Amino acid sequence: MGILSRIREVVEGMAVHGQATSILRIKAQIDNLFMIITLGDMLGIPLLPPYYSLRLLPYMYPNIQNWKMYMLRERDVTDRIS
Amino acid sequence: MGFLNTPAPYVLAGLVLYFVTYMTYSKYIDRRIWNADPNRPTPAKMYFDGVEYFPVSKYVLFGYQFKSVAALGPIVGPLTAVLFYGWVPSLLWVIFGNMFIGWVQDYSAMMMSVRSEGRSMGPITYKLLGGRARTILLTYLVFYLIIITAVFEWTIIDVLNRVPGTFTAVLFVLLGGVLFGQMVFKMRMDVLKATAIALAIVLIGYFTVSLVPLVRNPPTNFLDSPTYLSQFPAPPGANPATLTWPGTNTVLFWLVILSILYFAAAVTVMPKFLLPTVYVGYLPSIIALVLVLLAAIATPLTGIAIQQTPVKALYVDPLANPQGGPIWPILFVTIACGAISGWHSLISSGLTSKQLEYETDALPVGGGAMMTEGAVALSSIAAMMALAAPPAGAAAYVQGATVLTTSLLHVPPVFMNILYGIFVTVMGLITSMLFVRVFRLVMADLFEGSPLGNKYISTLLILVAAGFLAFVGSWTNLWIFFGGTNQLLAGLALLLVAIFLASQRRPTAYVFIPGIFMAITTLAALAWETYVYGIYAVLNRPIGVQAAAAKLYGPWIVSASNYISAALGALLLVLGIIMTYYLISGWIKYRKEASASR
Repeated sequence: MGILSRIREVVEGMAVHGQATSILRIKAQIDNLFMIITLGDMLGIPLLPPYYSLRLLPYMYPNIQNWKMYMLRERDVTDRIS
Repeated sequence: MGFLNTPAPYVLAGLVLYFVTYMTYSKYIDRRIWNADPNRPTPAKMYFDGVEYFPVSKYVLFGYQFKSVAALGPIVGPLTAVLFYGWVPSLLWVIFGNMFIGWVQDYSAMMMSVRSEGRSMGPITYKLLGGRARTILLTYLVFYLIIITAVFEWTIIDVLNRVPGTFTAVLFVLLGGVLFGQMVFKMRMDVLKATAIALAIVLIGYFTVSLVPLVRNPPTNFLDSPTYLSQFPAPPGANPATLTWPGTNTVLFWLVILSILYFAAAVTVMPKFLLPTVYVGYLPSIIALVLVLLAAIATPLTGIAIQQTPVKALYVDPLANPQGGPIWPILFVTIACGAISGWHSLISSGLTSKQLEYETDALPVGGGAMMTEGAVALSSIAAMMALAAPPAGAAAYVQGATVLTTSLLHVPPVFMNILYGIFVTVMGLITSMLFVRVFRLVMADLFEGSPLGNKYISTLLILVAAGFLAFVGSWTNLWIFFGGTNQLLAGLALLLVAIFLASQRRPTAYVFIPGIFMAITTLAALAWETYVYGIYAVLNRPIGVQAAAAKLYGPWIVSASNYISAALGALLLVLGIIMTYYLISGWIKYRKEASASR
């Protein structure tokens, strides 16, 4: 990696990285809503008839693992100091 | 003029020592104590969720970590210490403090988090010491955040007041930030185009303020008459009308403006206001930071000589002059960031540890960012060295940095003055807006379901509490208070790492000894400041700079502020002692378990 690319990445880290992570968190919250509505039975919240959940399952499948990781992790207020 | 009579050799010596430490001691700790292994999966890979846990390049993380840890601390702390004790003790603490304690804390907190599945300080404390220790830590954080917000508020007010034009220029930065947020998220504009427009707004503001004297308004102490201010005791050689006095109408005006900004930053969605401002504001700040460091190194060529006394008093009687005190422990807390800072452990274990791609990246990211912050502290000492009789406060940094850089660039001083005014204000604003936000999150955690946990009520609470301390309190004493609480947090973080290492049956001396040193030093400093505030409260006497507040509102306001400060100090002292006790007993317990299992 050239010196200019490294400098660009350092500046990106200073100026943008916090913002990118914050946007990802907001996006994750919106995604969570969708996942809970469609696949809520995984968490014991059957909001949608299973027929529709099953129809949507192939589209949701790639995200399920990440979603479960995100949802089931313990959270603490000190995690949000960033 | 001799080479040794310029700031350059001392700044260079510091940089060289940091480099040597990084290449030797740091790498030794990384390899021998933590056994950092690039093949061991990090939380970013093991718990990938694409939101918080995902691998990020070490260069991006270095930039992020540096931005999150370096604010006003490495700038204001060293210059205040130079003012109290002279540049030699300040320089020694910045260099050796960082070499043996500062980077150790940042790096070790990060590694501890990496080895604990990316957990932050709260859950790690809970796991190692139990729920009560975590609650004490959070309670401590509540008061710590009030003090740190107060001290940053005052620092920003001081610059806005004493560097006319800064506010107008900062308004353009804020405007650029808000517009950037709107352009990217509402109008879906290309980021590069939006950046260009936002930067153009910042540059228009900067050049308008620098070139048009009419825009450099409002002037210093614009709501208070010079005759009124001239009755207050100023340091020798300083004009009272050019200083910032707690309790004046001008300070109240700036306090209200800042409180509005803090409130907006705390309750709005982060990408709408706080984060775009960070993005837009940080770009001129990086230029300012690099310039002052280059100018400090170039002083033998530019002919800037050291104007400050190498060593001043080692002890100051609190009744003769409440600012300062005995060199130990006060110097060690006056310079907080730059040498060591507790805030960094929260950042290191907050987001950065969740995104490290390889374990071996923790050293360049955590240790490297801390040593770079040490370089900022060195530049602050250099800026202070260039001034003959600087008054206290961040405005002195603006003054010193202007002297250094105008000698290098040969531009009219007003350009540099405004650039550094923006730099200090933006750095302070960005971080203190975050403090207010974090305060409301901690309050929501501690008082879930009660009105105190409500985001509007908790935000108003910190604005009133910190605002009152900033409005009436004595700034330098408040700074020492902040340093004490901040450094104590660092001591606690180091001891927590020692417990973690003991639980893993690893050597702990390299964190335990600095942890104990920091805990004792900071508890002593907190006790000292509590005593200073206490005697002034009991004697019903204003501390020098509080004279204006006492005159305007009556002595009761000053007395109330000093009583509150003393009570806060006593409370933090008790919480600090309890937490230290928990940590030391935890360390002994885990050490015994480790010995028994051998």
